[in-house]
Amino acid sequence: RTIYFNQPLEEQTFLKNEISTGKYNFLTFLPLFLFEQFRKVFNIFFLIICILQQIPGISPTGKYTTIVPLVFILLVAAIKEIVEDYKRHRADDAVNNRKVEVFRDGTFVELAWTQVVVGDIVKVVSGKFFPADLILLSSSEPQAMCYIETANLDGETNLKIRQGIPATSEIQSSEDLLQLHGMIECESPNRHLYSFNGSIKLNEDRLLPLGPDQILLRGAMLRNTKWIFGVVVYTGHESKLMKNANRAPLKMSNVDRTTNMQIWFLMAVLIVISLASAIGSEVWKKETTQRWYLNDTGTGPKGFFMELLTFIILYNNLVPISLLVTLEVVKFIQAIFINSDLDMYFEPTDTPAMARTSNLNEELGQVKYIFSDKTGTLTENIMEFKKCSVAGIKYGEGISERPGCYFYDESFVENLQTKYVQSNYVHEFTTMMSVCHTVVPEKEGNFRYQSSSPDENAIVKAARNLGYVFCVRTPTHVVVRCQGKDESYEVLNVLEFSSTRKRMSVIVRAPDGRIILMCKGADNVIFERLSEKSQFKFETENHLRDYARDGLRTLCFAQTELNEAAYKKWNDTVYYEASTAVVDRDKKLSDAYEAIEKNLFLLGTSAIEDKLQQGVPETIATLSAADIKIWVLTGDKQETAINIAYSSQLVNNDMSLVILNDSTLEKTKQTMEEAICDIRKELTCLEEAPETSKFALIVTGSTLQHALHKELEETFLDLALSCKAVVCCRVSPIQKAMIVELVKKNCNAITLAIGDGANDVSMIQAAHVGVGISGQEGLQAANSSDYSIAQFAFLGKLLLVHGAWNYNRLTKCILFSFYKNICLYLIELWFAFYNGFSGQILFDRWTISFYNVFFTALPPFTLGLFERTCSSKVMLKHPQLYSISQSASKYNAKVFWAMFANATVHSLMLFYIPMYSMKSEIAFSSGKTGGYLFLGNFVYTFTVITVCLKAGLESGTWTILTHIAVWGSFAIWLIFFGIYSHIFSILPLGSEMLGQADNVMASPVFWLGLILVPPMVLFRDLLWKVFRRRFQKSVVERVQELEVEHIDPQKTILDGARQSLSERAHLLRNMFGMGRNEDRDRSSSLRSLQDANHGYAFSQEEGGVVSQSQLIRQYNTSNERGSSY
Amino acid sequence: YNIESASVTGLDEPEDSKKPDNTAFKQQRLPAWQPILTPKSVLPTFFIISFIFIPIGAVLFTTSDGVREDFVDYTHCTNSLVPNETCASLRENRTRMNEPCTCVVNITLNTPMTGNIYMYYGLNNFFQNHRRYVKSRDDNQLVGTHVTNTSISKDCTPYRTDTVNGYQAPIAPCGAIANSFFNDSFTLQQEDGNTVNYLTTGISWYTDHTVKFNNPFPSNNLTAAFSTYTKPKFWNRYVQDLDTSNINNNGYKNEALEVWMRTAAFPKFRKLYGRLVNTNLPSGTYSLKINYNYPVTAFGGRKRFIISTTSWMGGKNNFLGIAYIVVGCCSFVVGVALCIIHFITRHKNVE
Repeated sequence: RTIYFNQPLEEQTFLKNEISTGKYNFLTFLPLFLFEQFRKVFNIFFLIICILQQIPGISPTGKYTTIVPLVFILLVAAIKEIVEDYKRHRADDAVNNRKVEVFRDGTFVELAWTQVVVGDIVKVVSGKFFPADLILLSSSEPQAMCYIETANLDGETNLKIRQGIPATSEIQSSEDLLQLHGMIECESPNRHLYSFNGSIKLNEDRLLPLGPDQILLRGAMLRNTKWIFGVVVYTGHESKLMKNANRAPLKMSNVDRTTNMQIWFLMAVLIVISLASAIGSEVWKKETTQRWYLNDTGTGPKGFFMELLTFIILYNNLVPISLLVTLEVVKFIQAIFINSDLDMYFEPTDTPAMARTSNLNEELGQVKYIFSDKTGTLTENIMEFKKCSVAGIKYGEGISERPGCYFYDESFVENLQTKYVQSNYVHEFTTMMSVCHTVVPEKEGNFRYQSSSPDENAIVKAARNLGYVFCVRTPTHVVVRCQGKDESYEVLNVLEFSSTRKRMSVIVRAPDGRIILMCKGADNVIFERLSEKSQFKFETENHLRDYARDGLRTLCFAQTELNEAAYKKWNDTVYYEASTAVVDRDKKLSDAYEAIEKNLFLLGTSAIEDKLQQGVPETIATLSAADIKIWVLTGDKQETAINIAYSSQLVNNDMSLVILNDSTLEKTKQTMEEAICDIRKELTCLEEAPETSKFALIVTGSTLQHALHKELEETFLDLALSCKAVVCCRVSPIQKAMIVELVKKNCNAITLAIGDGANDVSMIQAAHVGVGISGQEGLQAANSSDYSIAQFAFLGKLLLVHGAWNYNRLTKCILFSFYKNICLYLIELWFAFYNGFSGQILFDRWTISFYNVFFTALPPFTLGLFERTCSSKVMLKHPQLYSISQSASKYNAKVFWAMFANATVHSLMLFYIPMYSMKSEIAFSSGKTGGYLFLGNFVYTFTVITVCLKAGLESGTWTILTHIAVWGSFAIWLIFFGIYSHIFSILPLGSEMLGQADNVMASPVFWLGLILVPPMVLFRDLLWKVFRRRFQKSVVERVQELEVEHIDPQKTILDGARQSLSERAHLLRNMFGMGRNEDRDRSSSLRSLQDANHGYAFSQEEGGVVSQSQLIRQYNTSNERGSSY
Repeated sequence: YNIESASVTGLDEPEDSKKPDNTAFKQQRLPAWQPILTPKSVLPTFFIISFIFIPIGAVLFTTSDGVREDFVDYTHCTNSLVPNETCASLRENRTRMNEPCTCVVNITLNTPMTGNIYMYYGLNNFFQNHRRYVKSRDDNQLVGTHVTNTSISKDCTPYRTDTVNGYQAPIAPCGAIANSFFNDSFTLQQEDGNTVNYLTTGISWYTDHTVKFNNPFPSNNLTAAFSTYTKPKFWNRYVQDLDTSNINNNGYKNEALEVWMRTAAFPKFRKLYGRLVNTNLPSGTYSLKINYNYPVTAFGGRKRFIISTTSWMGGKNNFLGIAYIVVGCCSFVVGVALCIIHFITRHKNVE
């Protein structure tokens, strides 16, 4: 496409910069909604019933008795859709109406995002999102550089640098912009985030090329840069971010699948009893042809088919028509409960939890595996300088009390100021902290620092807090204000960081003229390069181990003084040659660095905390106790990942690490098999339960590629499942999804993925339940997730409380919905035995069709919304309770058929008890008799009250709403009954029902039956409950009782859990075969594949547009920075 | 100025805040009662049930026991005009179907009946609850609306219209139910030859008689009102001739018709035929003279004549009484069992 900018004459028509993620608009709502609804078999079924009812003469219930409830139910579903879609539109509007400064008619005006068009020049300021895909023209920084944060796009947290082309970099003001005219040619919109090709033509100049370094994508945020100017190239849905946003796949919960199965079962039952009834009807007709009083019995093969259809219509409500809509509404409100949970509201960012879909509420109660991202999920992505060890002495062991300052140690400061032997080291250490880095300072009151490495940032900040304020960087110097006086260090060389070198150095000329090489990096790399005479090795190593155990990121600091001549020689020959080499420059440079980084003297080590989110270790412990396995999948480096695994208590020192870091398929296979062998032996030798599996698996991305190979998949899974913790590092987004898929496919368990960045999206979408960490604005992970929470720690409540509750509620609600329908509609079958299988209904047609939508509509809601076995406090305190929902023991085929049998018995009782009570047919002292409908209303009333009471019996908790539902439903029926029985005197409707209520209620038999029937029918149910509680008490019931008695139920739970533990132990043992008698020596030789000694971790952008050493040479912060005005 | 604006935004904050409301409903802290069904807590329920149900059952049982009921099955009674011929066979004979047939059967009352006494006819194996039969009526017609041969309900087919002088006249009342109206009549005689007089009114539901069944205009002249209608095919008289002596019991408002039109629930049913107010029928053998018109033997049906008194709860039926007693006893047994269980548990706990 060709874009002309700053040329108002050109009419350019491109897509508006407006996004819409809503499903519907006014016009498309009806067709789309109906399409969505009638894609469900369930609704199709009822639609077919509606159509069948229109065939004259075959419907036992009239023409409209299915279509009315169906329309009602579709209306409810439509309202729900409208409410949800309205919310989406509102969210879109919020984004669309964000403000940005747009250059129009020579000045910048603030406009909403929607008003931005292609070709506009916009000004974006620090901390703001780009409103569209832009071409960077110039920025407040030198040479049109700017930092962007792309966490939204790719999940990488280090800042990236983008640079405008030199031709435009001088544009600093609106006057300059006025002079600017031109044209950009670029490819048509596509979804490739990392590629861009185009060219720009300025003021009739020649074409200049544009590449991915110049593009600023929508969704990214400007950081550490005051402002930028950019030309809009792609807008709205054409932006690369939106091109990448695919609608989240529709997920179906386990419970939904089971329910669908059961609906099919019920349909099968329906067909079977319809067929049986139709055959019964034929038999009845064959009995005699002399029933002269009948008008038409419908004989012949066509008659049989018609009869069959009649019965299908008659029994169609065995499948509860209201089930789906009840479930939708219940889930919708459950989602509201999740959204409004104060315990999951994060005050600092004003973020409540949010259920983005309500389909999976109950799935939260069944999670068995959690796949967690690290950065931003477990950690806050904030680095804090916590501790250090200088010259063999530890500092910072206490807790800092100064706000905003994480490291403060009296003795450290004391040592800085006094003149002990120690003080020299401390001084040098601190100096190095403030000199050896690639950070750029920014004066804003106190100093702020910009860096692409959060570690360095933390170090420089800590130095600042200690009084060594790094304040100016010029291309050749750094100035450190140390105890009030400025000291200038000339930076001679920057020896860059890379992940293979694991270190970086600077060579500086100190104010006193000495040339010093300062090197910081991984302990093993530094220790290799220490001089023989270097001291404190032993102490420092000990300290490093301590730090590593605490999960702190360590960097070793070392330095050496260079001799002037030697340095000059190196700089002029070795370094010069390497830096000017055309071929293999990187390799040659690192060789050159190698040559000078030697004979170092160890100063000490820093310990930086990659700050965990609040409550992460506790939450992980709780979730583990709930028998949920947690796997950490991170794109970060192995070291960092291990650090976090330690600090979050996922891995502890008692555990052996199994590290897979092999580059070939064969080697990977070998390592894995050996590891499995070892673990097996260890397990079989243990006498106690292997719950205490002491292995943690660490896998790197490259190895994972092999491990996920078809051949090794199974072995890998075996290995992973037998480890207590699994940490995968350096994994790509696709691999994350692959791991999730692997577990999903092979373990038959519910998986949950939690993450915060766009790199987690694939995994979030692949898992059964995707959870996004929200809080910062417009995060893509949160947007494609099913639930978003602000903190990892909220996962505990989300799963253990909401998940378990919702599962329990929903399954009770579903089972009850089935139950009540089977109860009522099977009565029609029993009645068919007495009416010659003619399909006559025992009740009035409208009373049955309103059964589901009015008279028994409320109890499923109370079960689905307010049922609560234990309080949330107890659920959280005793994660073991989670296993009830996790194992699906309350809802499966067995439970369903037991319910079916029970409902069948109930329906038999509900039919036969009234039938025999009315045997004499004289229901009044006046000697009058009733009719079929008279009996029908008896049965119907008894059924409504029995079913409502059954709901009450199933409720573990009676709230005021339960009372309303149980008694209210019955009252609604009675009121309806009363009105309906008189409506014929006003309208030509319900002639059969005329006077029924008066006569039914005037009959003593009715009242006697009303007292008798419900207790009689529910007698067994109640008794069973009592006996079960007495003889087979479940853990929940024990906890409930103790809760009531205010006794701590911990002991009970442990007792209950013990049994299941030993069972599982047994299972595991079997799984691992019988290697008991084998030599124990070998198993104890289990390779401790790597010590946890190394706590090294360091992150910095590599291979960016501008290298760090080049970058720092471009700043001169001693001058006033350019401003655009 | 800055401070001021900051404090203003500070005040505004709660409004914009997304913080969820702290209400008992939203935080799911609604006060709740948790019933814990242990033997101890359920014990009283079972005992209460048994203590209430057993006496009720006993009362119901004795009440039902006090009801006197006698019946006679006259399906195959002998034609009193032609010896050795049953009325049933006469009715099955197509050629002689319209010949009158009466028979006399004896009905014995073992104990005297006093108070209000009710007379029923009972049919067996007669499916008044058949789907196609049940709907074969026109309630619009019965409520007193004039219908034509087109506006009459299609549900009545094939008893909708009939040819009268080449013209399709609507049938009144139409449909299979009305068409098969029970038309036997009974006369009950005491041993001394005195006829027992009974009322044929007050036997239908009040709502039926007052609302559901109304004669068409002009309702004070039924001959005129029904002039455009014809009789049901199987009837031998017109609807306006059902009870010419009482205009309030004639036409659609004939109570026997109203009773018949309220279709029964089961193939074995009885319907109220007449009532005796505050009468004293001594024990003994009564003779029942029957105008036998209604054919039932073709489809294996049977006919009965029933005479019964009632109690406050209706007719003779001890099912309810027994059911109450059984449930009460079961509750008692369970209650005792739970007591024992509870006792043992407590004992164990002490140990």
